[in-house]
Amino acid sequence: MDELDLLKKDWQSDDSRNETKLSVKEIYPMMHKKSSSIVKTLFYISIAELLFWLVLNLYPYFASDKYREELAVMYGNSTMLLALSILSSLVIVVFVFLLFKSYKSISVTDSAKKLMENILNTRKIIKYYVIYSLVMAFVSVIIGIYYTLYHNPEVSKQFAEFSDKQMFVATTLMVLFTLVFILVFWLFYRIIYGILLKRLNRNYNELKKLEV
Amino acid sequence: MNKELEQNFVELLEKHQNIVHKVCRLYTNNQDAHNDLFQEITIQLWKAYPKFRGEAKFSTWMYRVGLNTAITLYRKSKRNIKTQGFESVSFKIKAVDYDDTEEQQLKLLYKAVHQLNDIEKALVFLYLEDKNYSEISETLGISEVNARVKMNRVKKKLKTILNP
Repeated sequence: MDELDLLKKDWQSDDSRNETKLSVKEIYPMMHKKSSSIVKTLFYISIAELLFWLVLNLYPYFASDKYREELAVMYGNSTMLLALSILSSLVIVVFVFLLFKSYKSISVTDSAKKLMENILNTRKIIKYYVIYSLVMAFVSVIIGIYYTLYHNPEVSKQFAEFSDKQMFVATTLMVLFTLVFILVFWLFYRIIYGILLKRLNRNYNELKKLEV
Repeated sequence: MNKELEQNFVELLEKHQNIVHKVCRLYTNNQDAHNDLFQEITIQLWKAYPKFRGEAKFSTWMYRVGLNTAITLYRKSKRNIKTQGFESVSFKIKAVDYDDTEEQQLKLLYKAVHQLNDIEKALVFLYLEDKNYSEISETLGISEVNARVKMNRVKKKLKTILNP
């Protein structure tokens, strides 16, 4: 007899084995408990990320008048700053829409493979959002450094005493520092998602391997 | 209306709870983890229940939601860290058929199944529940041919685990 058939016989004959048979009364409260599913965690992380970058984007408008003026000087005029903020807010709206659509497509009644694909797709949207935010952060820091060095009267005066070589070293260091900072951020994201989706990725790859 | 829906659901789940218990038994190693997964599957079933149209049998629908929760959605909670070996789970064998070697063999078989990966366990689960390959392929989202191929590989793997 095939081993699995022996197991099947036992498996199907043991309907009464469950010593933990739950009553209707015990099931009721279970239905309304909070889910701790991967999708829910992913949802909270994406909301946190959207809010984090949104607050960072809007920061200049909540900051002091003086800081806003300084920023306006740096960017040449405040219209430029406003345009940039509107653009980034628009990008956020697009990402929120895509995320919403993606979350709606996740259904526990799909096949296992389809369900995994939809979750991984949602994760991809969050990933693109994070990449976009990090690139934007990097670009704005670089623009910030450039304008501070060349357009901020006080800072330019100090740097004017620097030789070309010193200036080059200082700029390179600042860029490198920003780059490292951004990379650390990226690594942090990778670790969070890596831990969260490790099992899902493994199972998805196992299913995909079958189709090759 | 909502109360009625709730009541219908709870009654159906109470009647078919064995399916969920079986999924939990396959994917967890101790009672705490078992209860935790049972809880999560119940939540997912209830969340999806309003969309359950009754075209499929409730039990068939439960297989899908149960397995999807176990292999995709479920995140082990912290209290699952303390593990109690699967060996301590006892198997009920009918007194008349009592056969020491068969019981021993079953113990080893259950232990071997526990060593399979999540997808292999899903295949074994559906096989043990007497699902045909068309249902297995639909539940997992792979082709029927691949489901057969994989099932044969799982059988071989189980043999290797049992007779190294």
